[in-house]
Amino acid sequence: MNAPDRYERFVVPEGTKKVSYERDTKIVNAASFTVEREDHTIGNIVRMQLHRDPNVLFAGYKLPHPLQYKIVVRIHTTSHSSPTQAYNQAINDLDKELDYLKDAFEAEVSRVGQANQHQGF
Amino acid sequence: MEDTVSYQRLPKVRIREMRDDFMKFELRETDASMANALRRVMIAEVPTVAIDLVEISVNSSVLNDEFIAHRLGLIPLTSDNAMEMRFSRDCDSCDGDGQCEYCSVEFHLSAKCESDQTLDVTSADLHSVDHRVVPVDVQKAFDSDGYDPNQRGILIVKLRRGQELKLRAIARKGIGKDHAKWSPAATVTFMYEPQIHINEELMETLTFEEKESLVDSSPTKVFSIDPDTQQVVVMDAEAYTYDEEVIKKAESMGKPGLVEIYAKEDSFIFTVESTGAIKAPQLVINAIKVLQQKLDAVRLQDDNNFNELDAHLGGS
Ligand SMILES: [Zn+2]
Repeated sequence: MNAPDRYERFVVPEGTKKVSYERDTKIVNAASFTVEREDHTIGNIVRMQLHRDPNVLFAGYKLPHPLQYKIVVRIHTTSHSSPTQAYNQAINDLDKELDYLKDAFEAEVSRVGQANQHQGF
Repeated sequence: MEDTVSYQRLPKVRIREMRDDFMKFELRETDASMANALRRVMIAEVPTVAIDLVEISVNSSVLNDEFIAHRLGLIPLTSDNAMEMRFSRDCDSCDGDGQCEYCSVEFHLSAKCESDQTLDVTSADLHSVDHRVVPVDVQKAFDSDGYDPNQRGILIVKLRRGQELKLRAIARKGIGKDHAKWSPAATVTFMYEPQIHINEELMETLTFEEKESLVDSSPTKVFSIDPDTQQVVVMDAEAYTYDEEVIKKAESMGKPGLVEIYAKEDSFIFTVESTGAIKAPQLVINAIKVLQQKLDAVRLQDDNNFNELDAHLGGS
C-alpha cells in the first residue's frame, strides 16, 4: 500500500533540477554532475564519449542505488578545458552522431524497401 | 568559449533483412555504449499505446475483473502516432484526467453468449473510436483484406451460454519502463561481429580425423571442411557464441594458436523483433529520436553555466 508510484522512476519531481553541478573542493577542473531520473542508458554513453576527449583526465558515472533514480557523472579535465565544457561537448557530439545515424538509417531503410518491392515482397 | 573541435563518430548501417515485425542490421564505427543505449531505449523507452483503464459494467465470465483488465492491457495496439501523442500526466486538455483525444483512445467491448457453442471473446471484439489505434492483429487482417479462419484475434476470455462481458477501456501512451505492456519490442539483441583467424600453416600439420574433431568441437556450426581441398574453413562466423570450445580443443591437441577469435569492438549485428505496435524499422528510428530527446534533457541549463562563471571569477 505504500509502494511508490511507478512513474517516479522517470518523472523529475517538481522543484528538482534535472542536472545539478558541484565543483570539487580539492581538485581544480574536477566536478560531479547529478542527473535526476536517468540510468545506465545515458550514464554509459556520456562516459564513453567523454573518454574520446583528450582533455578529459577522468570520466566515470555511477548509479548510487537502484531505488534512487539518479546517476552521478564525475569529470576531471586538464586546464585546457573544464568539466562543464567537456560535458556539453560530449552531449553535443552524441547528439550529432545520432543525427548522422538517423539519416544513414533512413537512407538504408528506403534503399532496402525499394529492393524488397522489386523482389515482390 | 565554444570551440570547433569535435569527437563525433560517423556510424555506418547496413540492413540485411527487413520486415514489418523483424529486422537484422549491421551497425559499425561506433562503440558498445551506443549500441546498448539504443537497445535499452527500444525495449523500455520508445512510447506505444496500451489499455490502461478498464470500466467493467457486466462480467459474468469465469475470469474476475482485474484478470480481464490485465489481459486487455497486454494486447498490442497500433501505435504509429504514439510519438506525437501526449502522456496523460502532462496533458493540459484534460488536466491529467487522461480521457481526452490528445492523450487517450476509448474502446468498447460487448459480448454475450446466446448458444450452446462456447463463444471466444477476442481482440477483434474490441471496438476503437480511433481507427489509427486498433489491435495489431485486427489491423493485419484488415491490411491483407483476406479473411483467415485461423486468425481470429487474441483470445481474451471464453463465454458459455448466458455469460456476458461488457466494458469500456481507455488506452493511453506509455513506456516499457512504466509497465512492460507498453514495450514495443519483443526482443532486441546485438552481438559483436566475430573475426576468426585460422593459422593455415599449423592446420596443415593436422590429420583429417584431427581436423574433423576440431570442427565438431564447436557447439554451433562455425567451421566446416572443404570436401575438395580438405581444408578447415569458416562456414558461418556469426554462428560463434564466444564459447571458446574450439580454442580449448586446439590447446588440448597441443596446438595453441591454431584458431584465434576476436570480437570486433566497433561492429555490431542487431536483431529487432517488434510486437507489431510499431514496425521494426520505425522502432529503430523512434529509439534514435527518443535518445536524442533524452540527451537534450540532460544538457546543462544556463544558470548552471553562470554559477560556474561566478565561481571562477570570484574564486581565482
Ligand atoms: Zn488528455
